[in-house]
Amino acid sequence: MSSLQGYVDRRVFLVLQDGRSIVGTLAGYDQKSNVVLSNSTERVYSSDEGVEEIPLGLYLVKGDMICLIGEVDEEADQALDLTTIRAEPLPPIRY
Amino acid sequence: MLPLSLLNAAQNKPMLVELKNGETFNGHLVNCDNFMNITLREVYQTSAEGDKFWKLKECYIRGSTIKYLRVPDPLLDAVKDEQARAREANKFRGGHAGGAARGGRGGPQRGGRGGARGAPLRGGRGGRGRGM
Repeated sequence: MSSLQGYVDRRVFLVLQDGRSIVGTLAGYDQKSNVVLSNSTERVYSSDEGVEEIPLGLYLVKGDMICLIGEVDEEADQALDLTTIRAEPLPPIRY
Repeated sequence: MLPLSLLNAAQNKPMLVELKNGETFNGHLVNCDNFMNITLREVYQTSAEGDKFWKLKECYIRGSTIKYLRVPDPLLDAVKDEQARAREANKFRGGHAGGAARGGRGGPQRGGRGGARGAPLRGGRGGRGRGM
């Protein structure tokens, strides 16, 4: 059985169907993959500016909207200088 | 912690709800259910483009249309504390029932006589309910 249990209380990276990327601490989840993120921030990528981090706080994201949940390697993540990163934002999913 | 326990604890608290179509609703949570259907009061609705606003006294949002909810930070600790307290209370109760002897005997006894004793009780409760 696949489960998010191993990610609880870890920093995780979420990609939503609308193309948003959110980083937060996984505080909880349920069978429908609805997740609770604490201390979460949105990372807004753009091709001509550094990554903008927007604090979001405590977030409850519906499982329907989630494309991907990844565990963040905190060491590697802290070594990143987000202000120097230039990247096209992810487009939303199209049906 | 389950997302729904957090949502239940958020009753009467302010929150921001974004729908899948991008519209957002700011208001206080009145009620919610297990489908994440919710009702909000004193709502400010914002269009997906962020250019139009509406004020609603109260609104109902179907859970399946929700993208995410943003809730106040202190709620996380509130729910964690409450769950810790509930666990403690359970332990306490377990300790009192204590023993396998008492628990073991109590279970079947209650079950066995429950029909006789339970029926009038339930009737009584029903009566009171209807009366109210």
